[in-house]
Amino acid sequence: MNENLLRQALQDSVNEVLEKMFFVETQGECAEPCEDLPADEIAAELTFEGEPPGALLLRLTWEAARQIAADFLGIDEGEVSSVQTSEVVRELANMICGSVLSRVEGASAFHLAAPRIVPPAAEMAASLSHTRYCVRLSNGRLTVDIGT
Amino acid sequence: MAYRVLIVDDSPAMRTFVRRVIDLSGFELSQCFEASNGGEALDVLRTEWVDAILTDINMPEMDGQEFLRRLSQDELLRSIPAIVISTDATAHRIASMASLGARGYVTKPFLPETLRAELERTLGVPCE
Repeated sequence: MNENLLRQALQDSVNEVLEKMFFVETQGECAEPCEDLPADEIAAELTFEGEPPGALLLRLTWEAARQIAADFLGIDEGEVSSVQTSEVVRELANMICGSVLSRVEGASAFHLAAPRIVPPAAEMAASLSHTRYCVRLSNGRLTVDIGT
Repeated sequence: MAYRVLIVDDSPAMRTFVRRVIDLSGFELSQCFEASNGGEALDVLRTEWVDAILTDINMPEMDGQEFLRRLSQDELLRSIPAIVISTDATAHRIASMASLGARGYVTKPFLPETLRAELERTLGVPCE
């Protein structure tokens, strides 16, 4: 798969999903290389079948995740439980992955597995060639890796 | 006129969001029912009449495809318009769901006005 096309699709998908479904505006892309990932994060992963198959790994700082969950559910941040935050982060991963694949595999079929919460230090399988997009949010950071 | 809508999605967060977006769009709901998969949705429809169904595709136990298939086989329920809400925007998937009886399709991410427009179109609500 063309890496530039995939990266553009990833960038467009993250920005569009955050803006339309979570009412969040990003504060710009993190400077490369973005390797100093903070420890206080929640992560979700999902695999997909298609041409090609692969996986998506989403990491979000907890404060940003709680805020996004509150905005998504329409409740105060203080009322958001960790279960609700996990649900919303899984949904966010699902939407970003579906949006990316629809952009790059528009003519073919794909299937997404259910997203699952994974340890923040989880790594994408070494066998996958992966593309990263990392953005600053008003109260944290969101990092997405997609590997095919 | 206010409408009765059934939201079918395995994610409680997504069901809450869809309900919220319908409210934000100004579409009038008189009652909103929820189900976490196609089987639960059929249980709801055995006791409650709804004007429209909004359904996800990927769900455990009974997914959106099988749910639409069952709806189309039921003489009474097949008249209820079903709109699919999914992240999958491929032409293949949209055509596949239409062939199973879906009357509308909304791709995530979407704006409140998009969902409202699709609800109004499938329900035949006259334009203001």
